Amino acid sequence: MTAARENILDRVRAALRVTVPAPAAPTGRPVFPPVTDPVATFARELAAVKGELVASLPEFLKSFRLIASCVDLVPGNAGVREAELGVTGCECLVAQTGSVIVSTRASGGRALSVLPPVHLVIARREQIAPDLAAALALLRQRYDGHWPSQLSLVTGPSRTSDIEKTLVLGAHGPKRLAVFFRD
Amino acid sequence: MTTRLFGSSAHVVTATINKMINHRFIADIVPVLRAGCKRSRFALDCAARRPYSAGMRVALFIPCFVDQFFPQVGVAMVNVLRRLKIEPEFPAEQTCCGQPAFNTGFWDEARPLARRYCEIFAGFDAVVSPSGSCVAMVRHFYPELGVEPPATYEFTEFLVKQLGVTDVGAAFPAKVTYHDACHALRELGLKDEPRQLLRHVRGLELVEMAQAETCCGFGGTFAVKFPAISTAMADTKIASLRATGAEYVVSTDSSCLMHLDGYLRRQRIPIKTLHIAEVLAAQ
Amino acid sequence: MNPVARQFHRDADAKAGDLQHRATVQRNIGLYDAAVATGKARFADWPAGRARLAQVKWEVINHLDRYLEQFERNVVANGGQVHWAETGEQAAQLVVDIARQHGVRKVVKAKSMTTEEIHLVPALEAAGIQAVETDLGEFICQLRGEPPYHIVTPVMHLSRQDVARTFTEKLGSPPTDSAEELTMIARRQLRQEFLTADMGVTGANFAVAETGQIALTENEGNIRLSFSLPKIHVAVVGIEKLVPRVEDLALFWPMLATSGTGQAVTGTNSLVAGPRRDGEPDGPAEFHVILLDNGRTRLLADVEQRDALHCIRCGACLNACPVYRTIGGHAYHTTYMGPIGAVITPHLRGLGDWSHLPFASSLCGACTEVCPVGIPVHRHLLHNRRNATRLNSRWQRLAFGAWLWGMQFTPRYRLGGALARWFSRRGWPAPPWTNTRALPIAPKQSFRDWWKTQ
Repeated sequence: MTAARENILDRVRAALRVTVPAPAAPTGRPVFPPVTDPVATFARELAAVKGELVASLPEFLKSFRLIASCVDLVPGNAGVREAELGVTGCECLVAQTGSVIVSTRASGGRALSVLPPVHLVIARREQIAPDLAAALALLRQRYDGHWPSQLSLVTGPSRTSDIEKTLVLGAHGPKRLAVFFRD
Repeated sequence: MTTRLFGSSAHVVTATINKMINHRFIADIVPVLRAGCKRSRFALDCAARRPYSAGMRVALFIPCFVDQFFPQVGVAMVNVLRRLKIEPEFPAEQTCCGQPAFNTGFWDEARPLARRYCEIFAGFDAVVSPSGSCVAMVRHFYPELGVEPPATYEFTEFLVKQLGVTDVGAAFPAKVTYHDACHALRELGLKDEPRQLLRHVRGLELVEMAQAETCCGFGGTFAVKFPAISTAMADTKIASLRATGAEYVVSTDSSCLMHLDGYLRRQRIPIKTLHIAEVLAAQ
Repeated sequence: MNPVARQFHRDADAKAGDLQHRATVQRNIGLYDAAVATGKARFADWPAGRARLAQVKWEVINHLDRYLEQFERNVVANGGQVHWAETGEQAAQLVVDIARQHGVRKVVKAKSMTTEEIHLVPALEAAGIQAVETDLGEFICQLRGEPPYHIVTPVMHLSRQDVARTFTEKLGSPPTDSAEELTMIARRQLRQEFLTADMGVTGANFAVAETGQIALTENEGNIRLSFSLPKIHVAVVGIEKLVPRVEDLALFWPMLATSGTGQAVTGTNSLVAGPRRDGEPDGPAEFHVILLDNGRTRLLADVEQRDALHCIRCGACLNACPVYRTIGGHAYHTTYMGPIGAVITPHLRGLGDWSHLPFASSLCGACTEVCPVGIPVHRHLLHNRRNATRLNSRWQRLAFGAWLWGMQFTPRYRLGGALARWFSRRGWPAPPWTNTRALPIAPKQSFRDWWKTQ
């Protein structure tokens, strides 16, 4: 196996002895328009990707019997595999795309945020980052050098358009993604 | 120069010398290295942007197949230029820009024609041609062959961008749709210019077809190497065409029109093809 | 013509004449075009984004040895293992070996063109290991015994009814016309597979050198399930997938999504940094990355075409290509189809057998126009054509030599032109042109004849 490694790296180095000139430098103009109102933008973008904003937590929880949770606010009574609802926290949210960033640290491991058919995220409005660049910078600050083993930028429920380009929610992951702000 | 004086034998000698000093690797690699040299590109852009002024010498480049098969296109272009008080010259030694060989991968066979083009058109301020694909070859692909071209413009580009003219005093009462020839559109960036000219033609009703920018399927030797695919692409384009109800399809490139016309006639579809120069010459 | 090229001609011609196929593809691409237009409207400056991506990719590809070593160091520091494979066969063998070492009987597999490239599923099945495709489109392809049709939308060519028939036949499910119900059938079936699989295999969309993370993009959630539930996660990663920093993904993710499907970002973008860490309640015990060459260093060494390695596999060039739209993905008979496939396949699999692909193009340039990382795709098709003619084109070279000889001396050119016009006036057949098209009606006078009268 190490022979393969040396052979490949040798070939790479040999190839790179001839350099290719760099492309024209980018202008530095912003690629995305600035996000002026993160809270409103987040709500709008979340709705656009068929996510739900929960107004009343007790009302929302009424329709679920088996709940798996890693958040104190919502007590769990089931394991990940039987749960109808998985309740997690998140690292942060992203206004630009209406996304939540889950992780093994903030969201109770890997399976809790993806296996149950409904995923509820308990968050605080102060966790909303304006855009992806800000969100990744925040994560770097928090975790540089000791990243959780998994992070996911989750944008709306699971979906597919593989069949005739018809959008269907809940392909393998959660059919519903909901966010409740506790602040 | 030597060709004109001594015929083909001198050319064999020069060709041999060229082959010796232009080792294939160098001929290929120079353009890549040169891509990093900004000066060459800037000079090219500069030449391309110098606006026309009275007294400038304008040469006609009539592509080989237009010269032989669609001369009316060249005649129309000359008539329009004369209407605008420009008397173009026609260096008769011109033959072909070399694109058929280049596109088929025979760059060594294209390079002598590229050099010949530069020699023939050396003394002129502008070269004008009724073919987007030939002009793209000259402007954008001669540098890949290591040859710096003289300032060359496609006809509608010359009218609108160099002369600043959109109304050439034409009249052509008919329903017309415009097909964006690929090289004119993507290599030369011409989208509005031909349409501006058509909109000023008296009596002409311009309708847009869906997928106007989709390739017609000619593609040079592609049309005979992959005829089934080429024909299917014509069929797709003609479906868009027919949906407009237009009587004519107009374009900057006779190659596209020849391909579409061949299919239209074979299918007995009564839509006619016309080069934009012919529309602009009509009165 | 070699047999590979002959088969391409056969299948491409058959598809070119298939009007129903054309209608299906046109409909799907129409939807795609509309979605992309919406997606691009979210950008303040798309060209600035392209320039930035081009720059980042240039940086990493042109210093690839350094970034590969950095990536390897970081994966290992995170508790993962890195293997290197020079060929596709070696890579597939490595996966089989890892599976055997751990007594793996069932693998759940995410959609990955790289795993297609190395023919992983046949290798696993030959070793007696069940390999289940979990992406809905790939799952359908697996049931039908077909390769994927498109690198992003594997069953673009099938209707609902086609899928329903396949499910009834292979899964015994009740017949249904609804895309929703069909998806739920697949969800139920595959859930059991996820819960009982021993190993999950994925590719990677990006590999972050600075952090040792791999980035995985999906809409369905099957990738997350594949790397969350089984006890081993193996990722097969082409060496060109590297990006320098995690921050770069803030631009790669949206531009990949917009070019690929028109979405602002794809449904889930994950960053996997290794196996389960201490204190984490679940996750695989082992994480393996297999770095794959399989001809990529050949492309790297080709200075002219090195930037073809910048490709982020968005599929935009396939959707834009009028040839792809006419013949579909299967006719290419190779993993990477469409324009970028025609550029890289000769490098990955040999120019001798695959030179027909770069020639199967009208050079319209739509591919270059849409590429989010600024690869001049159609120029590379020209480069490949030139390289192909140098391999073996004895007769064509003679023909073009004669053509050049004619074009270099004006009297010869004029004679040739007059002959061509004379021939076309005869109305004789001139296949392959005249099989489907009329010849142009040749005039008596050429332009230069007219000019002489002025």
